[in-house]
Parts: sequence; structure tokens; C-alpha cells
Amino acid sequence: MSRKLPKYFFNFVCLLVYIFLLAPIVVVLLSSLTTTEYIVFPPEGLTLRWYTELIEHPEFMQSFTLSIIVAFGTAIIATAIGTLASLAVVRRQFKGKTAIVQLVGSPLLIPSVVFGVALLQFYSWIGLAASPLALILGHIILTVPFVMRLVVASLVGFDRSIEQAALNLGAGPMKVFFHITLPIIKSGVIAGAIFAFITSFDDLTVALFIVSTDVVTLPVRIYTYMQYQYDPIITSVSSIMILFTVVLMLIIERVLGVGKVFSSKN
Amino acid sequence: MSYLSLENVVKTFNKTEVVKKLSLDIQKGELVSFLGPSGCGKTTTLNMIAGFLEVDGGKIEVDGKPVHLLPPNKREMGMVFQNYALFPHMTVFDNVAYGLKLRKVPKSEISKRVFEALEMVRLAGYEKRYPKELSGGQQQRVSLARALVIKPKVLLLDEPLSNLDAKLRQEMREEIVDIQKQVGITTIFVTHDQEEALAISDRIAVMYEGRIEQVDDPASIYNHPKTDFVSQFIGEVNHIQGKVLETYENKKCKLHFFGNEQIVSVPSVKNSEVHFFIRPEKIQIALAGSNERNEAFQTRVERKMFLGAKTRYILKVHDRHLIADISNTVLNPTEIKEGNSVYTYWNPEDLLPSRMAR
Repeated sequence: MSRKLPKYFFNFVCLLVYIFLLAPIVVVLLSSLTTTEYIVFPPEGLTLRWYTELIEHPEFMQSFTLSIIVAFGTAIIATAIGTLASLAVVRRQFKGKTAIVQLVGSPLLIPSVVFGVALLQFYSWIGLAASPLALILGHIILTVPFVMRLVVASLVGFDRSIEQAALNLGAGPMKVFFHITLPIIKSGVIAGAIFAFITSFDDLTVALFIVSTDVVTLPVRIYTYMQYQYDPIITSVSSIMILFTVVLMLIIERVLGVGKVFSSKN
Repeated sequence: MSYLSLENVVKTFNKTEVVKKLSLDIQKGELVSFLGPSGCGKTTTLNMIAGFLEVDGGKIEVDGKPVHLLPPNKREMGMVFQNYALFPHMTVFDNVAYGLKLRKVPKSEISKRVFEALEMVRLAGYEKRYPKELSGGQQQRVSLARALVIKPKVLLLDEPLSNLDAKLRQEMREEIVDIQKQVGITTIFVTHDQEEALAISDRIAVMYEGRIEQVDDPASIYNHPKTDFVSQFIGEVNHIQGKVLETYENKKCKLHFFGNEQIVSVPSVKNSEVHFFIRPEKIQIALAGSNERNEAFQTRVERKMFLGAKTRYILKVHDRHLIADISNTVLNPTEIKEGNSVYTYWNPEDLLPSRMAR
């Protein structure tokens, strides 16, 4: 197996993969610029008309804001819960630990449709109406497993004598956590938060069961709009969603370095 | 009045006592090694002193005050870990400064003390490096500086040299002793390396199965081991038996070894056989015909190994093997060939009596 494939072959395969991944995005972005009244690719003519028309649809802007609030709340709470749960799972021995690990991981196994139905049932049973809070709670359940996967990975092989060293130098347990533990597992925690944010921001299936007429997240708004109209407004909203995610990634890249965040530490 | 004292300290894991009523008094400024095989409880004891493990019985006092109930962050002890345990996300400066920052030392004083500490471990100029940019030896020095800069009451070293290569290990241990004497800090040094312990300690506590077998200065540990474990663990020993022929007063008796008689002082004689240990370098040999002595007996050289300054001879006598290490300046190894018969003897004072089967 020592025979190496030529470098250009490797590059070529990479190129194909990238095209496969990025082509739909490019199609959406370009077709949002069409002058036609319907979605077409390649676009016929170029115009920003569909972006300006969004102004006449404030409901999209509302949904966008709601989605961001929900995704942000989800990311913060799920990351906090997921990080603490990871610490417990990796470092402590307690009764029923395996059961808890399985339970926390189960949203990864259950189809989100089933999960959505279950949430709907549960919320109506406890009388929780559609609200950002209801969405956040649902999304937390959905995203904690992702956070835990990533944080647990960064905790495995963590040398605890580093924490002992800090204790020994006079730091209390809280200081040890914030000065030592958290900075060292930072990459896993941030990656988890990003996953949680994007999963929540992106979620259609679960949200469909929870939303009401005045609490509608952006993916649900796009979905329902498409059922009645199929004009390039859809592509312009989608483009904004894509650009928003890209900008978010760029900011994180600037501040922390995404490469670093997603690669294993050190 | 001892500075650090352990009194009947007990630690139990899963109903097994790993440290059994251990007591030890350490003087101020003293360097004491905990030496023993793995699993002897030396690191467990160190962790109890540092506060990472709770004691299950007994007490630990520093300067007359009990500390065994304090959490580790309140004990004012500096610890150096086997794997250095530097904070990977902080520079060398921040690593060393961390303990001072926690103590709310003013900034200007922090940088002064950090620079002094780094100078002491010969790492001035490395402040801005990260731990992963340093070699193992340098990391261990940072770790030492970090522990000492807070002026702890006790310095705890947990096998600090075991991850370094042989040459660096020797350099570092000399450096550690120099710094320890210079600072005058009470120090506990945990190691499984007897040479290391013998070289640097004021006193050595040899540990075995959760107990201290003997606490003494290095020479006494080596020359006058008090238990069989200490005899066999420190240095190498030959195990020999002698048949008792006659017993005299003042604890002497005439013994029969390998067809040869010798009068030896023995603490007590109960059986017809007495067991001894003797170190390989205490056995002497001479070519047949030369320098014959009354107490010598004949052995056959089975193997010869040149070890640089000395040569090791494996001698066979009556189906038993004896190991003798002879300095090459005393006996030219080319004079003796494998298969030769040689006269073998020792000084009766060099026999270490064993408690085995007495």
C-alpha cells in the first residue's frame, strides 16, 4: 500500500467533494438575483429586487429575530448543561451513570418528527403555550447530546494534575474551573455551542410542532411561505440565512480560530 | 520540635489499607525522600500531605498546626508533579505568576518575584514561551519555580525526574538539591529510584506496603539496613546461609559457610542456620595461589561482565551463585577468565544479618 496516488488526483477528488457540498448554496445565492417572478437557475438577469421586497414582508424579519433569540438561548443553556454534564460523566462514578449517558444521548437516535410529536403532547399536557421559551426548551433537549459529544471528547485525556497544581497554588474549586479547566477544554465547549446554535437556528422538524401563528421561526416561515407561493423571496431569505451563518463563522474564526475550535486541542 | 509531622496517618481504598498508621517527623529545612516500590503508598502519603486525598485516620501537622482537615488550596504547600502539570494555556511567566496573582500580590512585586524565581531555575528569558515550546527539563524547572515562588511551607516533589533521560536526571537532581539548600525549604521527595534517593536526601524513609520500614540517613540505610526489605530493596544483595557451629557470649558465633569457618556477630541465634545478605561489592576474590586467606573458599567464575569502572563476576559454589563486583583498579579483569577457580572471601562485618527464618 506504499504506492502513492498522484497529488493532482487527491486535489481533484477534493474539488469534486467541495462542488458537491457547495453547489446547492451557490444555486440558491445566484437564483435569488433573478429578474423573473419565479425561481430559476441560472438566473435570468441580475437584480436585488427580491431583497428589497423583503421589506414588505416584516414577518420574515420577525421570524429571523425570533430564530436568533431562540438559537442564542439554546446555545448558552445547552452548552452550560452539556459542559457540566460532561464533567460529571467523565469524572465521577455514580449510580445510574450509564442510564443517564444513554438517556442524554437518546435524542440523537429518536427521529426528530417523533420528538416533535412528543414535545407537542407534553407541552399541551403541562399547558406550556408556543413561546420562545418552549422552543428553547425543546432545542436544549435536541442539542445537549451534541455539546456533550464534543466536550466529553475534549475532556478525555485531560490531565487532572493540572487542576491539582492550581489547587495547590491556592485556587479554590471555582477558580480552578474558570482559570484552568474551562480554558483548556474551551475548543470543545465553543464547538459545542456553535453546533447547538446552528442546530437550533436550522431546525424545522421539531419547531413545526411547537410554533403558533405569532411565534414562527425562520425555517418554519420559509416552509409555510413556500406552500403557497414559490417566488424568489424564498431564495433571498435563504441567502440571508446562509450569509448570516458565514458571517457568524467568520467572527468566530477571527476571535478564536475555527480551525482550532474544530480540531482537537493543542 | 519537628516542622512537619505525620502521626498515625491511615488511608483506605476499597477497604484495603494502603497507608497503615504511618508516623514521621521532619525537621525544618530537611530533605526527606519517600522511597519504595510502586504501590508502597508513597505517592498516596504525599497526596494526603498536599490535601488531594483525605486522611482516614491520624493527623498531619505543619509548624505545630494541624492541616489535615484543610482543603489543598489552604495548605500553603508547593508541589512539583511527575508530568510537570504546567498550565498549557499560559505562558511561563503566567504559570509562575499564577500563585502570586491568587494571593493578590501587587503587580510590580509579582514580576520581580517571577523573574527571581525563573533566574533561580536558570530560565530567565523564557517568560513568553508556552509550556509546549519547552523541553522536559525546562518544563520541570518552570514547575519548580512555580511551586517555590509562593514561598510555601513545604515543598512536595512527586517523582519529579522520572520523565527525564538519565543524564538530565542527574543534572536536575543536583540542581534541585542546590536550590532546596539555598532556599532552606522543608522538602519531601517521592521516588522509586534508590540511587536518586541516596544521592540527594538528608534522610530516606523506605516504604513498603503502606509502612515506613526504616528512616535514616542514606549511609545508614545502605550500610545498616534494619529490615530484610530494606536490605534487598536498597542496592543488590547476595543471600547466604551459614550453619551455626558454636555460639559464644557477646552475640558472636562460629559459622560454617561453603566449607569454611568464620566468626561473625549475630543479633540472636535461634536455629541451626543463620541467614545473611552481602552486597556484591563487599565480596572479594583472588586468584588461586595468590594472597590466600584462612577464611577464603573456592568458587568457579561462571560469567564475567565488564561494567566500565568495575567488573561483575558470577561465581558458582555448591550449586549456589554469588555476585561479586570488583573494581578494575583492584583486580585487573583480564587476569581472570571464565571457568577459573578463584578464592572468595569477605569481611565478617560486611554481612548484613537477615531476620528471615531465624
